Amino acid sequence: MIGRRIPRIDGPIKATGEAKYTTDIYLPDMLVAKMLRSPLPHAKILNIDISKAKKIPGVKAIITGRDAWDIRHGFVETPRYPADQYCLANDRVRYIGEEIACVAAVDEDTAYEAIDAIKVTYEELPAVFDIFEAIKPDAPDIHEFRLPDLIEPFKNVGGRCANSFGDMEAAFKKAYLIREDRFETQLRTHCYLEPQATVAYYDVNGKLNVWTSSMGVFRKRMHLSKTLHMPLSKIRIHKSWVGGAFGGKIDLFSHEFCTSLLSIKTGKPVKYVAERDEIFSYFRHGQPMVIDLKTLVAKDGTILGQIVRCYNNCGAYRGSGVVCIFLCWGFIILPYRIPALDYIGYSIYTNNPVRAPQRGHGAPQVHFAVESQLDIIAEELGIDPIEIRLKNARQKGDILPNGDTIKNAGLIECIEEIEKKTDFRKKYSKNLKEVKQYKNNTRFRRGIGIGVSSYFTGTLIYPHNSAAIIKFNDDGTVQCYTGALDIGQGAETILAQIIAEELSIDIKDIEIIAGDTDNTPVDIGSWISGLTYVTGNAVKKASEDARKQLLSSAAIYLNVHMDSLDMRDRIIFVKDNPERSITFSKVLENHIRDHKGDPIIGKGFFRGLKDAEHGPSLKNAKGAWSDSYAFDAQVAEVEVDMHTGKIKVIKATTAHDCGFPINPLLVEGQIDGQVSMAAGQALSEEIIMEKGITLNPSFLEYKLPIATEMVENDYIDIITEEYKKDHHFHTKEVGEGYVSGILAAIANAVYNATGVRAKRLPIRIINNLS
Amino acid sequence: MTVMINKGVKKRLITLNINDRDYHVIIDDRDTLLYILRDKLMLTGTKDACGVGECGACTVLVDGKAVLSCLMLAIDGQGKKITTVEGLAKDGKLTDLQKAFIQYGAIQCGYCTSGMLMSVVGLFNTNPNPTKNDIKKAIEGNICRCTGYNKIIDAIEAVKDKRLKDKNDR
Repeated sequence: MIGRRIPRIDGPIKATGEAKYTTDIYLPDMLVAKMLRSPLPHAKILNIDISKAKKIPGVKAIITGRDAWDIRHGFVETPRYPADQYCLANDRVRYIGEEIACVAAVDEDTAYEAIDAIKVTYEELPAVFDIFEAIKPDAPDIHEFRLPDLIEPFKNVGGRCANSFGDMEAAFKKAYLIREDRFETQLRTHCYLEPQATVAYYDVNGKLNVWTSSMGVFRKRMHLSKTLHMPLSKIRIHKSWVGGAFGGKIDLFSHEFCTSLLSIKTGKPVKYVAERDEIFSYFRHGQPMVIDLKTLVAKDGTILGQIVRCYNNCGAYRGSGVVCIFLCWGFIILPYRIPALDYIGYSIYTNNPVRAPQRGHGAPQVHFAVESQLDIIAEELGIDPIEIRLKNARQKGDILPNGDTIKNAGLIECIEEIEKKTDFRKKYSKNLKEVKQYKNNTRFRRGIGIGVSSYFTGTLIYPHNSAAIIKFNDDGTVQCYTGALDIGQGAETILAQIIAEELSIDIKDIEIIAGDTDNTPVDIGSWISGLTYVTGNAVKKASEDARKQLLSSAAIYLNVHMDSLDMRDRIIFVKDNPERSITFSKVLENHIRDHKGDPIIGKGFFRGLKDAEHGPSLKNAKGAWSDSYAFDAQVAEVEVDMHTGKIKVIKATTAHDCGFPINPLLVEGQIDGQVSMAAGQALSEEIIMEKGITLNPSFLEYKLPIATEMVENDYIDIITEEYKKDHHFHTKEVGEGYVSGILAAIANAVYNATGVRAKRLPIRIINNLS
Repeated sequence: MTVMINKGVKKRLITLNINDRDYHVIIDDRDTLLYILRDKLMLTGTKDACGVGECGACTVLVDGKAVLSCLMLAIDGQGKKITTVEGLAKDGKLTDLQKAFIQYGAIQCGYCTSGMLMSVVGLFNTNPNPTKNDIKKAIEGNICRCTGYNKIIDAIEAVKDKRLKDKNDR
């Protein structure tokens, strides 16, 4: 079952429309919630008058910041980075779209009528949108907050992560070439197809029932418990299918809090579904970043040192910005050996909407910069892009500056295999020669480029761990209880495959009961690239536990040692004499009889970084980060229309070391989605904002890839891990690492085709052509 | 038939034939077909992802043709044959297209799937032998963020090939 292309188990309910997403939850007597948002980017709220709105027939409740408690929340909440955002604005708004009031009414029209009838009096404050304006001494203060250890004379610094190691002076002395460039990545967004949505129902027993489109139910419950000032035990997050997330649904959102509070106030179910233009304009997007990258190399291309400054525009509240600037440090030190580093990342407050993780969370930004510059350096040194990457690639056994060990690394193999498969060197040098000698005057030019990246596999952040329970029906079929939430990646299918493997049963004999804070054990959630690793190992251990119990019980009835037994298709048999056998069903029956009613329940749990007390420091990047790291090399082949500037990705090849692929069909699906998302980021996607206003808040104007822009994909699987029974596995992440290498590869391929070096995304060649 | 007036808005009773069944439903003239399907009839297989005709998630068949139900008024559905994703499987058995979507990995989060399937059924209704380009064109209005479209197109091509082969074998 492991390593096979098993079609996903939620396929039939999704192909028939039976699967219920949060948007599909309709409860009797349900109210509709709508949000009043700030029209100003920065203002004091002097007064909110809801008296008129309250009187409109059909309006059941209106809440403002005054109805909420004085409780703030944040993506991270640490002593250094205290929570900085209210669920509903208190006395001040800091971006256009910030939530001010929420109305529950009998229908949408009435709710909107009430929203329009609420009168807010503001005192406008000066606003700032650009990071380099925001750090100036005369910039308006967006928050009172000051980082105590900030040495720079910068304003509005929401977070700073600094780390240096190695002998930079020596690096400067040895350096043959020093290259310095500024790279900029745009504001991009997730485009999850299911809108942000929540249904909350506070029942008569005082239990708050919540369905919400998210990435992990336990994290949402923690945030709601805190902001609603309510015990965890009084909140239940139910499972609903999730129509895509890509990082954009992990934070607590105002509407989740508001629907809950409105339901508490009205005693009725309340539903909120965001309009698509609200999502584009006011919800959390990815992190746009400016990266100043200085790299010191020896004559042979060996990297001697790097000096890096990352400036992240985190928006009006901290969001995940401070995590992003930590991760950027991590992605700098990952795929290549860096003997000396001087890194500072800043997360800067501006009067823009707040930013969240988006698939890669810093990796696309950093790898675009590093990989682009590496190609520039290689060309200046007269060595090819393959050689410079092979020379610096991380290898098995490397110890990262924070102490993490690279247990397995297939990066060298990835680079070598992809070179062979794509005939890279030959194509690259031919194109480059033609471009340099201005020999190519054809309208459509081809180019090839490579990008390398690496990604971590889970880390420690609440809820830190996953647990699972395996129980049996009388006929020996299995039910697995897991808090995992399948957001489209195939989590339930992977977990079922692991159980099927460990218990040697058919996947059809397994039912996954998932994603419910009351009815399933704790789970880390579908984020930080940790689900298959953390939850997968918990489920594996629960299956092993059940297997052992089954075998030891069967051994008694078959009168042999349990080591001589094996199982298949719900039957346990003697290896040497398969005729001697007993069914799961019979073992369970006997076990209950002979063990005072014990029905055999398997229990398993897992936490990554077993020796670490907590996750790495967001201040100085010290401390363990992850148990294992995935690597990849990706090649893009592009065609550029020199008349119009239109760039087409003809083909993408991904050589990946994702450990042991539990389901290659799902691995390919992850790669396909990431290549497509990267092509969008490279070529067309950008949220365009002016003074805090989003100018393109629709699918029509935010150009994400459509079917006619499909990129042909090829895959090379470098397997460095085994899946072993009775052994926890280090299977690596595959969900977000492969969005970065290919992004850089596309930029490098465009250069190879045209001689135009993109330092800003999306790539625009037309202004750069002579 | 006008049944009542509320806040100056006419409500009327109409009959919609959806998945070979007649539904009698009270509508407001402004109601979209999507709204009636989901909010009134609980046929939630049809998805609402943008509401303004830009994503294709709400695609249904009207007299066999793929139509965006968010851009069609419910009142215009009278006297027509409407098919939603719930109407594809017959007697609990999935169609070859639904099976292929599952088998080829064309479904991830699943939110675009209903609309995608309906667009493809609409395509096959008019063109049983589409080229790869025809297929891409037919689903270019259906946004999928998960799959990059690769496995969706694989699945559709496989269905086309199988159907043509079955026809030739007959």
